[in-house]
Amino acid sequence: MGASGSRLPRDLLGEYQELTFLTKQEILLAHKRFSELLPKEDRDQAFTTRIPKSKILMLPELRANPFRHRICHVFSTTDDREGGLSFEDFLDMLSVFSDSATPEIKSHYAFRIFDFDDDGTLDKKDLENLVNCLTGEGEDSRLSAMEMDQLIQNILEESDIDKDGTINLSEFQHIISRSPDFTSSFKIVL
Amino acid sequence: MGDGQESSYERREYKAGSSWGRHGPPSLYLQLPSNQTLRFRGNKAAAWGAAWEGASKPEVDPQELVPEFVGGEEEEDSKPLKELPLCLEEKRKLRVLQEQAASRLSGWELWHVWKRRTLRRVRSQASSAVAYGEMWRSTLRHIGGQFGTGIQSYFNFLRFLVLMNFVASLLVAGFVIAPNAAFEALSLNRTSHQNSSLVNEACLAYNPTPRGLVSFFSYLMDLLSGKSFMELTYLFYGYYQNSAVDFVGFSYNCPLAYVLTALFYLHFSLMWIVRRSVYCLKRSLVSEDASLGSYSNKVFAGWDFGLVERKAAQLKHNSIRYELRMDLEEEAVRRRQAEMTTAQRIRLYVLRGVLNILVVGLLGGSFYCIYLAATYSQSLLGGTDSQVKGQFVLELLVAYLPSVVITAANLIVPMIFEIIVQLEKYPLSFQIKITLLRSVFLRLASLVVLLISLWSQITCGGDPQNPECQKCGYNNHLHPCWETSVGQEMYRLMIFDLLVMLLVMLFVEFPRKLLVTAFPTCRLLKFWGQQEFVVPGNVLDLVYGQTLCWTGVLFCPLLPVLNTIKYIVVFYLKKLTLYANCRPAERTFRASSSNFFFLLVLLLGLAISCVPALYSMFVLPPSKACGPFRGEPTMWNTVSSAISELPRTARDFFGYVGSIAFAVPLFLLLSILMFFLKALADSYSSVVKGLKWQLRLEGQDKLFLVKQISELSQ
Repeated sequence: MGASGSRLPRDLLGEYQELTFLTKQEILLAHKRFSELLPKEDRDQAFTTRIPKSKILMLPELRANPFRHRICHVFSTTDDREGGLSFEDFLDMLSVFSDSATPEIKSHYAFRIFDFDDDGTLDKKDLENLVNCLTGEGEDSRLSAMEMDQLIQNILEESDIDKDGTINLSEFQHIISRSPDFTSSFKIVL
Repeated sequence: MGDGQESSYERREYKAGSSWGRHGPPSLYLQLPSNQTLRFRGNKAAAWGAAWEGASKPEVDPQELVPEFVGGEEEEDSKPLKELPLCLEEKRKLRVLQEQAASRLSGWELWHVWKRRTLRRVRSQASSAVAYGEMWRSTLRHIGGQFGTGIQSYFNFLRFLVLMNFVASLLVAGFVIAPNAAFEALSLNRTSHQNSSLVNEACLAYNPTPRGLVSFFSYLMDLLSGKSFMELTYLFYGYYQNSAVDFVGFSYNCPLAYVLTALFYLHFSLMWIVRRSVYCLKRSLVSEDASLGSYSNKVFAGWDFGLVERKAAQLKHNSIRYELRMDLEEEAVRRRQAEMTTAQRIRLYVLRGVLNILVVGLLGGSFYCIYLAATYSQSLLGGTDSQVKGQFVLELLVAYLPSVVITAANLIVPMIFEIIVQLEKYPLSFQIKITLLRSVFLRLASLVVLLISLWSQITCGGDPQNPECQKCGYNNHLHPCWETSVGQEMYRLMIFDLLVMLLVMLFVEFPRKLLVTAFPTCRLLKFWGQQEFVVPGNVLDLVYGQTLCWTGVLFCPLLPVLNTIKYIVVFYLKKLTLYANCRPAERTFRASSSNFFFLLVLLLGLAISCVPALYSMFVLPPSKACGPFRGEPTMWNTVSSAISELPRTARDFFGYVGSIAFAVPLFLLLSILMFFLKALADSYSSVVKGLKWQLRLEGQDKLFLVKQISELSQ
C-alpha cells in the first residue's frame, strides 16, 4: 500500500466513476494532487479532511484564474464562508470542468459562478463584477464607466428575453447554448 | 436537512432583498413560483425534487420522491446521475433511493434500466479508450494552456490532416503499390490490354533512364527535381504497368485498381471532412434570428479556464479588454457611418471601388507571372534538345521556377492586401475577414493557374489540330509522358513548400527573436516586435499543401505518404517556433468559429483539386508510352470495360445509375427536400419570435401585478 493510487478503495473508485464525469486515471490523479496539498501527517485521511481555501487557491490550475474565489465558494459544501473543499468537492469541481461533462451542467455551474451575490439572477452589479474579473486585476485595466454601461446594455439586450433587467438561469443557458466557444473554454484538466 | 434548508433560504432571501429595492417589498416577489424553482437548484437533493412539486417541501419523503426519479419525469429518468447539478453526497443519496426503487420494479422495467445503464457505461469506456489513444494529446493540451484555444485549434487541425493522410497512404500502399511490387517481385505472368497496332511509332518514344556515368551530384539533383531515375520508381505514374495479373484463379486488374483507388481516396476525404464539419457546425449553429450574441459570447464564454501560466493569463486579460474595447469602438464607428451624408458615402464607395480594382489588378499580375514561369520552365525542361540539359544546377533552378514564383506571390501580395484594407475603412472584424478571403483566393487560384498553364502546354491550348499534338493527341515532344510531368510539378511544389517553411523559420523568425531580445531598447526593433503566430495564414499553408496532395495523387501515387511525413515534420517545426519565437496575437482567434472556417477552406481545396483529376480521367488521352493506361482512349475506359464484363443485371444497374433518367429525378427530389426544410426553418423562426414577444409581455405583466399588489397591501 505504498503508492497513493492504491489507497483509494476499489468500490469507492467505482462509485466516483459512476457519479462523476471523470475517468479512473483522472480520479487517481486528483487524489494524488489533493493529498499533496495536505501536510504529511494528514495524508492518510484525505477523505475526511477539508483543505482550506488558501491552499486550494495555490493549485497551478486555479492560481491564474480570475474566478478562483467564486469556484471555491460554489463547490464548497460547508456553509462557512472561508470553508475549503473536501476531496469529494474537489472531484465535483473537476467533474464539472472535465472534457466529458455535458454543456447543460457546465452552463448551470457557470451561472452559479458568475452570480456574485448568490441571488439566483445576474443583474447589473453581477455583470459589472464579471467584466472586471475578465479585464484584469488592477485599477488601470478596467473599462471606463461609459464603456461598461454600453457593454452591459448590449449584453442585456442580447440575453434578457423577458426584459426584466436581469438574466435568470434559463436565459443564461439559452444564450450559452448558442455560444460556440463555451464548451471548449470551460475546461480545467489536471 | 429540512431545517437547514429553511434557514439557508431565509438567509438568501435577506441577502437578495437588498438588490430588489426597485421592485417593491422583497418577500412578495421572491414568493413567486418561478423565482423559487430557478433559484435554488443547488446542492440539496430535496430542493431538486421539490422543484417539480412546484413548492418547497421541508420534509423529504423517500417514498414520494423516488417515483419522480424512476418512473415519472421522462427526461430526468433517462438522465444519468452524473448529469444532475448536485454535489457528490447528494448524488450518493439519490442513488441509494434509486436502487431502492429499482428493487421494487418488475422484471421488464428492471431489464430496461439495466440495459440503459450498461449501454451508457460501454459508450463512456469506448470514448475514453479512443481519447486515450489520441496522438499528441498532452502536447495539444499544454499548448492550449500556454497560448489559448485559438492556437490549439491550429494544431488540432494539423493532427486531423496527418491522420487523414496516413489513412490515405495505407489505402494507396495497400491497393496500388503493394500489389504491383509483389507481382513484380514474384515475376508473375502479366496479360496486357494493348491494342497498339494503330499507334504512331513516335508516340512510344520514352526513355528517362540516365545515360552514362551518373555522379552523386546529379543523383541529388534528380532526387529534388523528380527527373531521370526518379521517373522509374513507384513514385510516378509512368512506371506502372498496364497489365492485369492472373493469380490462382483470381485476377487483379492493376489499372482498374489504380483509378478506383484515386477516386475512392477523393471520395473518402470528402466524407471525412463533411462529417467533421457537421460536428463543428452543430456547435456554432446559426440562431433563429441571425443575431449571434457576440457580446454575450465574449463575456460569458470569454475566459479560457484552461490557462495555467500567469503570463498567459495576463495576456488573455489584455486581449479580452482589447477585444471588448474594439467592439464597442466599432459599434460607435458603425453608428457614425450610418449617419454619413450622401456625398461622404459616394466618396467612400468610389475609394473602395478603386482599391478593389487595384486588388484585382494585383491578382491578375501575379497569375500572369505564374503562367509565364510555368510555361518557360516546362518548355526548357521537356524535350531532348533543350539548352539546359547537362547543367544540373541550372536545370534544378528552372524546374523550381514555378514554385518560387508562387511562393513569392503568396508572401508579398498578402502584405500589400493588408495595407490596402486599412485604407478601405471597413469595420475591424470585416477587415480581417476580407483579407483572409483574398488570401485564400490568391493561394488556391495560383495553383489553378499553374495547372491551366500545364494543361495548355500538354494539349496545345486545347486544339487537337495543332501540328505538335496531332500525332498522339497530346504534345509528345515536350511531354512524352505527360502524367509524370504533372506529378513531378506537384512533387516539386510540395518539397519547396516544406523547404520554404524551414528556411523562413531559420532565417527570419529565429534572427528576429534574437535581435528583439538582444536590443530591447532599439525603437525600430520594438516596432517590428516578435513574431506573432498568425493562425489563419498558417492554416492556409496547410490547406495549400493538402490541395497539392489531392491534385497530384492520380499522377504521383506516393504523394500521401510523403505528405504524412511532411505534416509530421511541420507539427514539430511549428511547435518549436511557437515556443521559442512567438508571442500570442493581440486579437485572439476564436477556436470554434474558426474550426468550421478551416474545414470550409479545405473543402474548397478539395473541390479545386477534383477538377484536374476528373478532367484527366474522363477527357484527356493517357500517354501512349508509359503508365497503366497506355493504349486506352481514356482512363475511364478501363472502368467501363470492366463494367461491361460484369453479369447482365449489374451492368444494367450501373447503366441506369449513370444515366440521366436517374440523375434528373434525384436532383428534383433533393431540391424539393431543400425547399421543404427551408420552409420548416422559417416557420420555426417565426414561432420563436412570437414566443419571445409573449415572454416579454408576461414579464411586464408580472412586474405590474407585483407593484399593484404591494401598493394595495400597504
